[in-house]
Amino acid sequence: MDASLLLQLGANGLSVGLGYGLAAIGLALVFGILGQVNFAHGEIYMLAAFVLWWLVKWFGLSYGAGFALMLLLMAGVGLLMAEAVFLPTLNRSFESVILASLAVSIILQNAVRLVFGATPQRIATPLESVNLELGSVLLFGQRLMVAAMAIASMLMLSAFLRKTETGRAMRAMAQSKEACQMVGIDPRRITRITAMMGAALCALAAGAMAPMFDLYPNMGTDIVFKSFAVVIIGGMGNVAGAALAGVLLGVAESYAGGLLGAVFRDGIGFALMIAMLLLRPQGLFGKSVRV
Amino acid sequence: MINSVSPYLLHIGVMAGIYVLLVLSLNLMLGYCGLLSLATPAFVGLGAYASALLTLRLGCDSSLTLVAALVLGAASGVILGIPSLRLSRHSFVIVTLSATLLLQLVASNWVDLTRGALGLADIPSLRFGSFRIDGKPAWLATMVVVAALGIGVFWTIVSSRLGRAMVAVRDNEPLAVATGIDVMKIRLFAFACSGAFAALGGACYAHYLSFIDPGLFGFSISEALLVMVILGGSGTLWGPVLGAIVFTVLPEALRMAPELRSLLYGVLLLGFVLFMPEGLARCLSRPVNRAASAEAGQ
Repeated sequence: MDASLLLQLGANGLSVGLGYGLAAIGLALVFGILGQVNFAHGEIYMLAAFVLWWLVKWFGLSYGAGFALMLLLMAGVGLLMAEAVFLPTLNRSFESVILASLAVSIILQNAVRLVFGATPQRIATPLESVNLELGSVLLFGQRLMVAAMAIASMLMLSAFLRKTETGRAMRAMAQSKEACQMVGIDPRRITRITAMMGAALCALAAGAMAPMFDLYPNMGTDIVFKSFAVVIIGGMGNVAGAALAGVLLGVAESYAGGLLGAVFRDGIGFALMIAMLLLRPQGLFGKSVRV
Repeated sequence: MINSVSPYLLHIGVMAGIYVLLVLSLNLMLGYCGLLSLATPAFVGLGAYASALLTLRLGCDSSLTLVAALVLGAASGVILGIPSLRLSRHSFVIVTLSATLLLQLVASNWVDLTRGALGLADIPSLRFGSFRIDGKPAWLATMVVVAALGIGVFWTIVSSRLGRAMVAVRDNEPLAVATGIDVMKIRLFAFACSGAFAALGGACYAHYLSFIDPGLFGFSISEALLVMVILGGSGTLWGPVLGAIVFTVLPEALRMAPELRSLLYGVLLLGFVLFMPEGLARCLSRPVNRAASAEAGQ
Protein backbone atom coordinates (compact mmCIF):
# COMPACT_ATOMS: atom_id res chain seq x y z
CA MET A 1 0.00 0.00 0.00
CA ASP A 2 1.73 3.16 -1.10
CA ALA A 3 1.57 6.44 0.71
CA SER A 4 0.01 8.43 -2.11
CA LEU A 5 -3.04 6.15 -2.18
CA LEU A 6 -3.44 6.51 1.58
CA LEU A 7 -3.16 10.28 1.24
CA GLN A 8 -5.67 10.34 -1.58
CA LEU A 9 -8.11 8.22 0.43
CA GLY A 10 -7.65 10.56 3.38
CA ALA A 11 -8.32 13.63 1.23
CA ASN A 12 -11.41 12.03 -0.32
CA GLY A 13 -12.66 11.02 3.09
CA LEU A 14 -12.12 14.47 4.50
CA SER A 15 -14.08 16.18 1.74
CA VAL A 16 -16.91 13.60 1.77
CA GLY A 17 -16.96 13.74 5.56
CA LEU A 18 -17.34 17.52 5.58
CA GLY A 19 -20.33 16.99 3.30
CA TYR A 20 -21.79 14.47 5.77
CA GLY A 21 -21.24 16.95 8.55
CA LEU A 22 -22.96 19.68 6.55
CA ALA A 23 -25.92 17.38 5.83
CA ALA A 24 -26.16 16.33 9.46
CA ILE A 25 -25.93 19.69 11.24
CA GLY A 26 -29.46 20.61 10.16
CA LEU A 27 -30.71 17.46 11.82
CA ALA A 28 -28.54 18.07 14.88
CA LEU A 29 -29.77 21.66 15.11
CA VAL A 30 -33.44 20.67 15.05
CA PHE A 31 -32.81 17.96 17.62
CA GLY A 32 -30.63 20.16 19.79
CA ILE A 33 -32.96 23.15 19.88
CA LEU A 34 -36.39 21.53 19.61
CA GLY A 35 -35.63 18.06 20.95
CA GLN A 36 -37.42 16.66 17.94
CA VAL A 37 -36.12 14.04 15.49
CA ASN A 38 -36.87 14.99 11.94
CA PHE A 39 -37.31 11.80 9.95
CA ALA A 40 -38.09 13.86 6.83
CA HIS A 41 -34.53 15.23 6.84
CA GLY A 42 -33.41 12.96 4.01
CA GLU A 43 -36.42 13.88 1.92
CA ILE A 44 -35.73 17.57 2.41
CA TYR A 45 -32.24 16.87 1.06
CA MET A 46 -33.76 14.99 -1.88
CA LEU A 47 -36.35 17.68 -2.55
CA ALA A 48 -33.68 20.37 -2.48
CA ALA A 49 -31.63 18.51 -5.08
CA PHE A 50 -34.68 18.05 -7.30
CA VAL A 51 -35.75 21.69 -6.95
CA LEU A 52 -32.25 22.77 -8.00
CA TRP A 53 -32.35 20.39 -10.97
CA TRP A 54 -35.79 21.71 -11.93
CA LEU A 55 -34.72 25.36 -11.70
CA VAL A 56 -31.62 24.72 -13.79
CA LYS A 57 -33.31 22.50 -16.33
CA TRP A 58 -36.67 24.21 -16.88
CA PHE A 59 -35.91 27.83 -16.15
CA GLY A 60 -32.41 27.79 -17.57
CA LEU A 61 -30.93 29.33 -14.44
CA SER A 62 -27.21 28.99 -13.88
CA TYR A 63 -26.06 26.62 -11.17
CA GLY A 64 -25.25 29.51 -8.82
CA ALA A 65 -28.51 31.40 -9.31
CA GLY A 66 -30.53 28.21 -9.10
CA PHE A 67 -28.69 27.32 -5.91
CA ALA A 68 -29.52 30.65 -4.25
CA LEU A 69 -33.18 30.53 -5.26
CA MET A 70 -33.40 26.90 -4.16
CA LEU A 71 -32.08 27.79 -0.71
CA LEU A 72 -34.84 30.38 -0.31
CA LEU A 73 -37.50 27.94 -1.47
CA MET A 74 -36.23 25.26 0.88
CA ALA A 75 -36.26 27.65 3.83
CA GLY A 76 -39.94 28.06 2.92
CA VAL A 77 -40.32 24.29 2.98
CA GLY A 78 -38.75 24.37 6.43
CA LEU A 79 -41.40 26.86 7.50
CA LEU A 80 -44.08 24.54 6.13
CA MET A 81 -42.49 21.68 8.09
CA ALA A 82 -42.70 23.81 11.22
CA GLU A 83 -46.37 24.59 10.63
CA ALA A 84 -47.33 21.03 9.69
CA VAL A 85 -45.16 18.98 12.00
CA PHE A 86 -43.15 20.74 14.69
CA LEU A 87 -45.67 23.30 15.95
CA PRO A 88 -48.70 20.99 16.26
CA THR A 89 -46.56 18.47 18.12
CA LEU A 90 -44.67 20.98 20.26
CA ASN A 91 -46.24 19.71 23.48
CA ARG A 92 -46.90 16.16 22.42
CA SER A 93 -44.96 12.93 22.87
CA PHE A 94 -41.89 12.48 20.75
CA GLU A 95 -43.55 9.61 18.87
CA SER A 96 -46.02 12.07 17.34
CA VAL A 97 -43.14 14.12 15.96
CA ILE A 98 -41.38 11.09 14.55
CA LEU A 99 -44.56 9.71 13.03
CA ALA A 100 -45.61 13.07 11.60
CA SER A 101 -42.19 13.66 10.06
CA LEU A 102 -42.14 10.08 8.76
CA ALA A 103 -45.48 10.82 7.13
CA VAL A 104 -44.03 13.96 5.55
CA SER A 105 -41.09 11.95 4.25
CA ILE A 106 -43.45 9.41 2.67
CA ILE A 107 -45.46 12.24 1.09
CA LEU A 108 -42.41 14.06 -0.28
CA GLN A 109 -40.77 10.93 -1.64
CA ASN A 110 -43.83 9.77 -3.52
CA ALA A 111 -44.85 13.23 -4.67
CA VAL A 112 -41.41 13.71 -6.22
CA ARG A 113 -41.64 10.27 -7.80
CA LEU A 114 -45.03 11.15 -9.30
CA VAL A 115 -43.98 14.59 -10.51
CA PHE A 116 -40.41 14.04 -11.70
CA GLY A 117 -40.45 10.26 -12.35
CA ALA A 118 -37.99 7.68 -11.12
CA THR A 119 -35.38 8.18 -13.87
CA PRO A 120 -32.07 9.26 -12.33
CA GLN A 121 -31.20 12.88 -13.18
CA ARG A 122 -27.96 14.82 -13.15
CA ILE A 123 -27.09 18.43 -12.36
CA ALA A 124 -24.24 20.06 -14.25
CA THR A 125 -21.84 22.30 -12.37
CA PRO A 126 -19.34 24.88 -13.62
CA LEU A 127 -16.72 23.15 -11.45
CA GLU A 128 -17.02 19.94 -13.49
CA SER A 129 -13.52 20.07 -14.94
CA VAL A 130 -11.83 22.10 -12.22
CA ASN A 131 -9.34 19.99 -10.33
CA LEU A 132 -6.56 20.78 -7.94
CA GLU A 133 -3.41 18.70 -7.76
CA LEU A 134 -1.40 18.79 -4.57
CA GLY A 135 1.62 16.58 -5.13
CA SER A 136 0.17 13.16 -5.85
CA VAL A 137 -3.23 14.02 -4.38
CA LEU A 138 -5.98 14.97 -6.81
CA LEU A 139 -8.82 17.11 -5.48
CA PHE A 140 -12.00 17.67 -7.47
CA GLY A 141 -13.34 21.22 -7.62
CA GLN A 142 -16.86 20.31 -6.54
CA ARG A 143 -15.54 18.40 -3.52
CA LEU A 144 -13.47 21.40 -2.53
CA MET A 145 -16.56 23.58 -2.81
CA VAL A 146 -18.47 21.19 -0.54
CA ALA A 147 -15.65 21.28 1.99
CA ALA A 148 -15.43 25.07 1.86
CA MET A 149 -19.19 25.46 2.21
CA ALA A 150 -19.26 23.02 5.10
CA ILE A 151 -16.56 24.86 7.01
CA ALA A 152 -18.01 28.29 6.23
CA SER A 153 -21.55 27.36 7.23
CA MET A 154 -20.43 25.67 10.44
CA LEU A 155 -18.49 28.77 11.44
CA MET A 156 -21.40 31.02 10.51
CA LEU A 157 -23.90 28.87 12.39
CA SER A 158 -21.64 28.88 15.41
CA ALA A 159 -21.30 32.67 15.29
CA PHE A 160 -25.05 33.05 14.78
CA LEU A 161 -25.90 30.89 17.79
CA ARG A 162 -23.42 32.74 20.02
CA LYS A 163 -23.57 36.35 18.92
CA THR A 164 -27.09 37.16 17.80
CA GLU A 165 -30.19 37.70 19.90
CA THR A 166 -32.09 35.04 17.95
CA GLY A 167 -29.22 32.58 18.26
CA ARG A 168 -29.09 33.06 22.01
CA ALA A 169 -32.86 32.64 22.18
CA MET A 170 -32.50 29.36 20.30
CA ARG A 171 -29.92 28.10 22.76
CA ALA A 172 -32.16 29.17 25.62
CA MET A 173 -35.01 27.20 24.08
CA ALA A 174 -32.76 24.13 24.01
CA GLN A 175 -32.29 24.47 27.75
CA SER A 176 -35.82 25.20 28.89
CA LYS A 177 -38.95 25.99 26.95
CA GLU A 178 -40.78 27.14 30.10
CA ALA A 179 -38.04 29.53 31.14
CA CYS A 180 -38.07 30.97 27.61
CA GLN A 181 -41.73 31.84 27.91
CA MET A 182 -41.10 33.53 31.25
CA VAL A 183 -38.50 35.86 29.78
CA GLY A 184 -40.58 36.61 26.71
CA ILE A 185 -39.09 34.32 24.11
CA ASP A 186 -41.82 32.90 21.89
CA PRO A 187 -41.18 29.15 21.46
CA ARG A 188 -43.30 29.12 18.31
CA ARG A 189 -41.14 31.76 16.66
CA ILE A 190 -37.96 29.91 17.63
CA THR A 191 -39.45 26.68 16.33
CA ARG A 192 -40.16 28.30 12.96
CA ILE A 193 -36.69 29.81 12.72
CA THR A 194 -35.00 26.56 13.74
CA ALA A 195 -36.99 24.53 11.21
CA MET A 196 -36.17 27.03 8.46
CA MET A 197 -32.47 27.01 9.30
CA GLY A 198 -32.43 23.22 9.53
CA ALA A 199 -34.02 22.89 6.11
CA ALA A 200 -31.75 25.55 4.59
CA LEU A 201 -28.60 23.88 5.94
CA CYS A 202 -29.80 20.56 4.59
CA ALA A 203 -30.54 22.21 1.23
CA LEU A 204 -27.06 23.76 1.23
CA ALA A 205 -25.57 20.28 1.58
CA ALA A 206 -27.87 18.96 -1.13
CA GLY A 207 -27.09 21.72 -3.59
CA ALA A 208 -23.35 21.37 -3.08
CA MET A 209 -23.25 17.58 -3.25
CA ALA A 210 -26.00 16.86 -5.79
CA PRO A 211 -23.80 17.41 -8.90
CA MET A 212 -21.56 14.56 -7.75
CA PHE A 213 -24.34 11.97 -7.59
CA ASP A 214 -27.39 10.82 -9.52
CA LEU A 215 -30.70 12.28 -8.40
CA TYR A 216 -33.49 9.80 -7.67
CA PRO A 217 -36.49 9.91 -5.34
CA ASN A 218 -34.96 7.47 -2.85
CA MET A 219 -31.68 9.32 -2.53
CA GLY A 220 -32.74 10.84 0.79
CA THR A 221 -32.74 7.44 2.46
CA ASP A 222 -28.98 7.10 2.13
CA ILE A 223 -28.27 10.56 3.40
CA VAL A 224 -30.66 10.33 6.34
CA PHE A 225 -28.93 7.22 7.62
CA LYS A 226 -25.54 8.80 7.27
CA SER A 227 -26.94 11.79 9.14
CA PHE A 228 -28.43 9.64 11.88
CA ALA A 229 -25.14 7.79 12.28
CA VAL A 230 -23.35 11.12 12.43
CA VAL A 231 -25.61 12.66 15.08
CA ILE A 232 -25.49 9.51 17.18
CA ILE A 233 -21.70 9.29 16.95
CA GLY A 234 -21.34 13.01 17.65
CA GLY A 235 -23.93 13.11 20.43
CA MET A 236 -27.61 13.77 19.72
CA GLY A 237 -28.22 17.46 19.30
CA ASN A 238 -24.59 18.48 19.46
CA VAL A 239 -24.00 20.64 16.38
CA ALA A 240 -20.21 20.80 16.58
CA GLY A 241 -20.12 17.12 17.49
CA ALA A 242 -22.11 16.32 14.36
CA ALA A 243 -19.65 18.24 12.21
CA LEU A 244 -16.67 16.39 13.69
CA ALA A 245 -18.42 13.04 13.57
CA GLY A 246 -19.24 13.67 9.91
CA VAL A 247 -15.57 14.11 9.12
CA LEU A 248 -14.74 11.01 11.15
CA LEU A 249 -17.34 8.96 9.30
CA GLY A 250 -16.20 10.22 5.89
CA VAL A 251 -12.57 9.34 6.56
CA ALA A 252 -13.46 5.95 8.05
CA GLU A 253 -15.67 5.17 5.05
CA SER A 254 -13.03 6.24 2.59
CA TYR A 255 -10.36 3.99 4.10
CA ALA A 256 -12.78 1.10 4.59
CA GLY A 257 -13.94 1.39 0.98
CA GLY A 258 -10.47 1.83 -0.47
CA LEU A 259 -8.72 -0.86 1.56
CA LEU A 260 -11.44 -3.45 2.24
CA GLY A 261 -14.08 -3.04 -0.47
CA ALA A 262 -17.25 -1.12 -1.26
CA VAL A 263 -19.51 -3.20 0.99
CA PHE A 264 -17.46 -2.26 4.02
CA ARG A 265 -17.74 1.41 3.14
CA ASP A 266 -21.52 1.21 3.54
CA GLY A 267 -21.32 -0.95 6.64
CA ILE A 268 -18.80 1.07 8.60
CA GLY A 269 -21.27 3.84 9.48
CA PHE A 270 -23.59 1.33 11.07
CA ALA A 271 -20.72 -0.42 12.81
CA LEU A 272 -19.41 2.85 14.28
CA MET A 273 -22.90 3.84 15.35
CA ILE A 274 -23.64 0.50 17.06
CA ALA A 275 -20.24 0.53 18.76
CA MET A 276 -20.87 4.07 19.97
CA LEU A 277 -24.29 3.17 21.36
CA LEU A 278 -22.89 0.19 23.22
CA LEU A 279 -19.84 1.95 24.64
CA ARG A 280 -20.88 5.56 24.95
CA PRO A 281 -24.63 6.10 24.35
CA GLN A 282 -24.36 9.85 24.88
CA GLY A 283 -22.09 10.07 21.81
CA LEU A 284 -18.50 11.24 21.51
CA PHE A 285 -19.23 14.73 22.68
CA GLY A 286 -22.39 14.33 24.74
CA LYS A 287 -25.70 16.09 24.32
CA SER A 288 -25.42 19.81 24.36
CA VAL A 289 -25.85 22.63 21.93
CA ARG A 290 -22.44 23.97 22.66
CA VAL A 291 -20.97 24.99 19.34
CA MET B 1 -67.91 -22.77 -2.34
CA ILE B 2 -64.52 -21.29 -1.70
CA ASN B 3 -63.32 -22.60 -5.06
CA SER B 4 -65.74 -20.31 -6.85
CA VAL B 5 -64.14 -17.21 -5.34
CA SER B 6 -61.68 -15.60 -7.72
CA PRO B 7 -57.99 -16.37 -7.03
CA TYR B 8 -57.36 -12.65 -6.80
CA LEU B 9 -59.71 -12.25 -3.83
CA LEU B 10 -58.14 -15.31 -2.20
CA HIS B 11 -54.72 -13.74 -2.69
CA ILE B 12 -55.86 -10.55 -0.96
CA GLY B 13 -57.20 -12.69 1.87
CA VAL B 14 -53.88 -14.48 2.32
CA MET B 15 -51.96 -11.19 2.28
CA ALA B 16 -54.34 -9.75 4.87
CA GLY B 17 -53.61 -12.76 7.08
CA ILE B 18 -49.86 -12.17 6.75
CA TYR B 19 -50.27 -8.47 7.50
CA VAL B 20 -52.30 -9.30 10.62
CA LEU B 21 -49.22 -11.10 12.00
CA LEU B 22 -46.97 -8.14 11.16
CA VAL B 23 -49.39 -5.67 12.70
CA LEU B 24 -49.39 -7.69 15.94
CA SER B 25 -45.61 -7.32 15.94
CA LEU B 26 -45.68 -3.54 15.63
CA ASN B 27 -48.71 -3.01 17.86
CA LEU B 28 -47.10 -4.88 20.75
CA MET B 29 -44.17 -2.44 20.70
CA LEU B 30 -45.85 0.81 19.69
CA GLY B 31 -49.26 0.29 21.23
CA TYR B 32 -48.50 -1.59 24.43
CA CYS B 33 -44.91 -0.59 25.20
CA GLY B 34 -45.03 2.92 23.74
CA LEU B 35 -41.81 2.28 21.82
CA LEU B 36 -41.71 2.97 18.11
CA SER B 37 -39.88 0.01 16.60
CA LEU B 38 -38.95 0.16 12.93
CA ALA B 39 -37.34 -3.27 13.18
CA THR B 40 -40.42 -5.21 12.10
CA PRO B 41 -39.19 -5.50 8.47
CA ALA B 42 -35.87 -6.80 9.83
CA PHE B 43 -37.66 -9.63 11.63
CA VAL B 44 -39.85 -10.25 8.59
CA GLY B 45 -36.78 -10.57 6.40
CA LEU B 46 -34.93 -12.78 8.88
CA GLY B 47 -37.90 -15.11 9.20
CA ALA B 48 -38.45 -15.22 5.45
CA TYR B 49 -34.80 -15.87 4.58
CA ALA B 50 -34.30 -18.39 7.40
CA SER B 51 -37.33 -20.46 6.52
CA ALA B 52 -36.71 -20.25 2.76
CA LEU B 53 -33.03 -21.18 3.03
CA LEU B 54 -33.67 -24.09 5.39
CA THR B 55 -36.22 -25.42 2.91
CA LEU B 56 -34.21 -24.77 -0.25
CA ARG B 57 -30.77 -25.81 0.95
CA LEU B 58 -31.51 -28.52 3.51
CA GLY B 59 -34.98 -29.63 2.45
CA CYS B 60 -36.27 -29.24 5.99
CA ASP B 61 -39.89 -29.87 6.90
CA SER B 62 -41.97 -26.72 7.37
CA SER B 63 -42.74 -27.54 11.00
CA LEU B 64 -39.00 -27.20 11.60
CA THR B 65 -38.46 -24.10 9.44
CA LEU B 66 -41.38 -22.23 10.99
CA VAL B 67 -40.11 -22.99 14.49
CA ALA B 68 -36.65 -21.89 13.37
CA ALA B 69 -38.11 -18.61 12.06
CA LEU B 70 -39.97 -18.04 15.34
CA VAL B 71 -36.88 -18.75 17.43
CA LEU B 72 -34.67 -16.61 15.20
CA GLY B 73 -37.17 -13.75 15.35
CA ALA B 74 -37.37 -13.90 19.14
CA ALA B 75 -33.61 -14.29 19.53
CA SER B 76 -32.84 -11.34 17.28
CA GLY B 77 -35.39 -9.31 19.22
CA VAL B 78 -33.39 -10.04 22.36
CA ILE B 79 -30.01 -9.44 20.70
CA LEU B 80 -31.12 -6.13 19.19
CA GLY B 81 -33.06 -5.20 22.31
CA ILE B 82 -30.23 -5.55 24.82
CA PRO B 83 -28.22 -2.61 23.46
CA SER B 84 -31.06 -0.55 21.98
CA LEU B 85 -33.66 -0.67 24.77
CA ARG B 86 -31.22 0.93 27.18
CA LEU B 87 -31.08 4.03 25.03
CA SER B 88 -33.31 7.05 24.92
CA ARG B 89 -36.52 6.44 23.05
CA HIS B 90 -35.29 8.62 20.20
CA SER B 91 -32.20 6.52 19.75
CA PHE B 92 -34.26 3.33 19.90
CA VAL B 93 -36.17 4.41 16.80
CA ILE B 94 -32.98 5.23 14.94
CA VAL B 95 -31.22 2.03 15.97
CA THR B 96 -34.14 -0.21 14.99
CA LEU B 97 -34.27 1.50 11.61
CA SER B 98 -30.51 1.18 11.14
CA ALA B 99 -30.55 -2.49 12.12
CA THR B 100 -33.14 -3.09 9.42
CA LEU B 101 -31.00 -1.36 6.82
CA LEU B 102 -27.89 -3.15 7.99
CA LEU B 103 -29.65 -6.49 7.45
CA GLN B 104 -30.76 -5.33 4.03
CA LEU B 105 -27.13 -4.58 3.25
CA VAL B 106 -26.14 -8.06 4.42
CA ALA B 107 -28.93 -9.71 2.41
CA SER B 108 -27.86 -7.80 -0.71
CA ASN B 109 -24.17 -8.55 -0.34
CA TRP B 110 -23.89 -12.03 1.14
CA VAL B 111 -24.43 -13.41 -2.35
CA ASP B 112 -23.26 -16.98 -1.57
CA LEU B 113 -26.07 -17.40 0.92
CA THR B 114 -28.87 -15.13 -0.28
CA ARG B 115 -28.09 -14.74 -4.00
CA GLY B 116 -28.02 -10.99 -3.33
CA ALA B 117 -30.30 -8.75 -5.33
CA LEU B 118 -31.46 -11.68 -7.49
CA GLY B 119 -33.40 -12.92 -4.50
CA LEU B 120 -34.46 -16.46 -3.69
CA ALA B 121 -36.87 -17.93 -6.21
CA ASP B 122 -38.91 -21.15 -6.34
CA ILE B 123 -39.34 -21.42 -2.59
CA PRO B 124 -41.59 -24.47 -2.07
CA SER B 125 -44.95 -24.03 -0.41
CA LEU B 126 -45.37 -25.07 3.23
CA ARG B 127 -45.13 -28.85 3.69
CA PHE B 128 -45.82 -30.68 6.93
CA GLY B 129 -44.70 -34.32 6.53
CA SER B 130 -46.55 -35.50 3.45
CA PHE B 131 -49.18 -32.78 3.71
CA ARG B 132 -48.50 -29.88 1.36
CA ILE B 133 -50.41 -26.63 1.34
CA ASP B 134 -51.27 -26.25 -2.31
CA GLY B 135 -53.31 -23.62 -4.06
CA LYS B 136 -54.85 -20.41 -2.83
CA PRO B 137 -57.91 -21.83 -1.02
CA ALA B 138 -55.68 -24.00 1.17
CA TRP B 139 -53.39 -21.02 1.80
CA LEU B 140 -56.31 -18.84 2.82
CA ALA B 141 -57.51 -21.46 5.27
CA THR B 142 -53.98 -21.81 6.67
CA MET B 143 -53.51 -18.07 7.07
CA VAL B 144 -56.88 -17.67 8.76
CA VAL B 145 -55.84 -20.33 11.27
CA VAL B 146 -52.33 -18.88 11.75
CA ALA B 147 -53.61 -15.32 12.10
CA ALA B 148 -56.29 -16.46 14.57
CA LEU B 149 -53.64 -18.30 16.58
CA GLY B 150 -51.47 -15.18 16.46
CA ILE B 151 -54.33 -13.02 17.71
CA GLY B 152 -55.00 -15.60 20.44
CA VAL B 153 -51.39 -15.55 21.61
CA PHE B 154 -51.33 -11.76 21.43
CA TRP B 155 -54.51 -11.54 23.50
CA THR B 156 -53.05 -13.95 26.06
CA ILE B 157 -49.91 -11.82 26.32
CA VAL B 158 -51.59 -8.43 26.64
CA SER B 159 -54.21 -9.58 29.12
CA SER B 160 -51.63 -11.33 31.29
CA ARG B 161 -49.55 -9.79 34.07
CA LEU B 162 -46.82 -9.15 31.53
CA GLY B 163 -49.15 -7.23 29.24
CA ARG B 164 -50.41 -5.09 32.10
CA ALA B 165 -46.83 -4.45 33.12
CA MET B 166 -46.09 -3.25 29.57
CA VAL B 167 -48.95 -0.78 29.75
CA ALA B 168 -47.85 0.33 33.21
CA VAL B 169 -44.32 1.02 31.94
CA ARG B 170 -45.73 2.85 28.93
CA ASP B 171 -47.99 5.09 30.97
CA ASN B 172 -45.75 5.86 33.92
CA GLU B 173 -42.29 4.41 33.97
CA PRO B 174 -41.14 5.70 37.40
CA LEU B 175 -44.32 4.44 39.04
CA ALA B 176 -43.97 1.08 37.32
CA VAL B 177 -40.40 0.79 38.54
CA ALA B 178 -41.54 1.71 42.05
CA THR B 179 -44.04 -1.15 42.05
CA GLY B 180 -41.22 -3.56 41.30
CA ILE B 181 -41.56 -4.01 37.56
CA ASP B 182 -38.29 -4.77 35.80
CA VAL B 183 -38.66 -2.38 32.86
CA MET B 184 -35.82 -3.81 30.83
CA LYS B 185 -37.08 -7.39 31.20
CA ILE B 186 -40.62 -6.43 30.21
CA ARG B 187 -39.46 -4.55 27.15
CA LEU B 188 -37.09 -7.32 26.11
CA PHE B 189 -39.92 -9.82 26.38
CA ALA B 190 -42.16 -7.61 24.25
CA PHE B 191 -39.43 -7.08 21.65
CA ALA B 192 -38.77 -10.84 21.47
CA CYS B 193 -42.49 -11.51 20.95
CA SER B 194 -42.60 -8.74 18.36
CA GLY B 195 -39.71 -10.42 16.56
CA ALA B 196 -41.40 -13.81 16.65
CA PHE B 197 -44.70 -12.53 15.24
CA ALA B 198 -42.96 -10.72 12.40
CA ALA B 199 -40.61 -13.61 11.60
CA LEU B 200 -43.55 -16.00 11.38
CA GLY B 201 -45.31 -13.57 9.06
CA GLY B 202 -42.15 -13.32 6.97
CA ALA B 203 -41.82 -17.09 6.72
CA CYS B 204 -45.43 -17.42 5.57
CA TYR B 205 -44.83 -14.64 3.05
CA ALA B 206 -41.77 -16.41 1.60
CA HIS B 207 -43.50 -19.78 1.23
CA TYR B 208 -46.68 -18.25 -0.13
CA LEU B 209 -45.17 -15.97 -2.78
CA SER B 210 -42.25 -18.39 -3.40
CA PHE B 211 -39.95 -15.43 -4.06
CA ILE B 212 -38.12 -13.03 -1.72
CA ASP B 213 -35.42 -10.44 -2.26
CA PRO B 214 -33.59 -7.89 -0.06
CA GLY B 215 -36.40 -5.39 -0.77
CA LEU B 216 -38.27 -7.19 2.00
CA PHE B 217 -36.14 -5.27 4.51
CA GLY B 218 -37.17 -1.95 2.97
CA PHE B 219 -39.11 0.81 4.60
CA SER B 220 -42.29 0.20 2.60
CA ILE B 221 -43.46 -2.50 5.01
CA SER B 222 -43.02 -0.20 8.00
CA GLU B 223 -44.91 2.49 6.12
CA ALA B 224 -47.96 0.28 5.57
CA LEU B 225 -47.80 -1.17 9.09
CA LEU B 226 -47.69 2.25 10.72
CA VAL B 227 -50.81 3.27 8.81
CA MET B 228 -52.58 0.06 9.79
CA VAL B 229 -51.66 0.29 13.46
CA ILE B 230 -52.15 4.01 13.98
CA LEU B 231 -55.35 4.41 12.00
CA GLY B 232 -56.70 1.25 13.57
CA GLY B 233 -55.80 2.47 17.03
CA SER B 234 -52.47 1.45 18.54
CA GLY B 235 -52.75 -0.15 21.95
CA THR B 236 -56.04 -1.87 21.14
CA LEU B 237 -56.30 -5.50 20.09
CA TRP B 238 -58.80 -5.31 17.26
CA GLY B 239 -58.14 -1.85 15.83
CA PRO B 240 -54.81 -2.69 14.18
CA VAL B 241 -56.10 -6.11 13.08
CA LEU B 242 -58.98 -4.39 11.31
CA GLY B 243 -56.50 -1.83 9.99
CA ALA B 244 -54.42 -4.65 8.50
CA ILE B 245 -57.45 -6.09 6.72
CA VAL B 246 -58.84 -2.77 5.52
CA PHE B 247 -55.49 -1.46 4.27
CA THR B 248 -54.70 -4.70 2.47
CA VAL B 249 -58.06 -4.74 0.73
CA LEU B 250 -58.49 -1.02 0.06
CA PRO B 251 -55.46 -0.33 -2.16
CA GLU B 252 -56.29 -3.45 -4.16
CA ALA B 253 -59.95 -2.53 -4.47
CA LEU B 254 -59.07 0.98 -5.62
CA ARG B 255 -56.37 -0.43 -7.94
CA MET B 256 -53.99 2.33 -7.05
CA ALA B 257 -50.51 2.86 -8.41
CA PRO B 258 -47.93 2.17 -5.68
CA GLU B 259 -46.77 5.81 -5.59
CA LEU B 260 -50.30 7.07 -5.20
CA ARG B 261 -51.02 4.52 -2.50
CA SER B 262 -47.92 5.52 -0.58
CA LEU B 263 -48.81 9.17 -1.00
CA LEU B 264 -52.25 8.47 0.42
CA TYR B 265 -50.67 6.53 3.30
CA GLY B 266 -48.48 9.51 4.07
CA VAL B 267 -51.37 11.95 4.07
CA LEU B 268 -53.54 9.64 6.19
CA LEU B 269 -50.72 9.04 8.64
CA LEU B 270 -50.01 12.75 9.03
CA GLY B 271 -53.70 13.56 9.43
CA PHE B 272 -54.28 10.90 12.04
CA VAL B 273 -51.11 11.63 14.00
CA LEU B 274 -52.05 15.30 14.21
CA PHE B 275 -55.81 15.17 14.61
CA MET B 276 -56.84 11.72 15.81
CA PRO B 277 -53.81 10.11 17.45
CA GLU B 278 -55.87 7.55 19.32
CA GLY B 279 -57.02 5.96 16.04
CA LEU B 280 -60.43 4.95 14.79
CA ALA B 281 -61.00 2.02 17.16
CA ARG B 282 -61.05 4.13 20.30
CA CYS B 283 -62.86 7.06 18.74
CA LEU B 284 -65.68 4.78 17.62
CA SER B 285 -65.76 2.65 20.74
CA ARG B 286 -66.05 5.58 23.15
CA PRO B 287 -68.58 7.95 21.63
CA VAL B 288 -70.09 8.68 25.06
CA ASN B 289 -66.78 9.60 26.60
CA ARG B 290 -65.94 11.85 23.68
CA ALA B 291 -69.23 13.66 23.95
CA ALA B 292 -68.74 13.97 27.70
CA SER B 293 -65.23 15.31 27.37
CA ALA B 294 -66.38 17.73 24.70
CA GLU B 295 -69.00 19.05 27.10
CA ALA B 296 -66.47 19.22 29.90
CA GLY B 297 -64.24 21.19 27.55
CA GLN B 298 -66.96 23.76 27.03
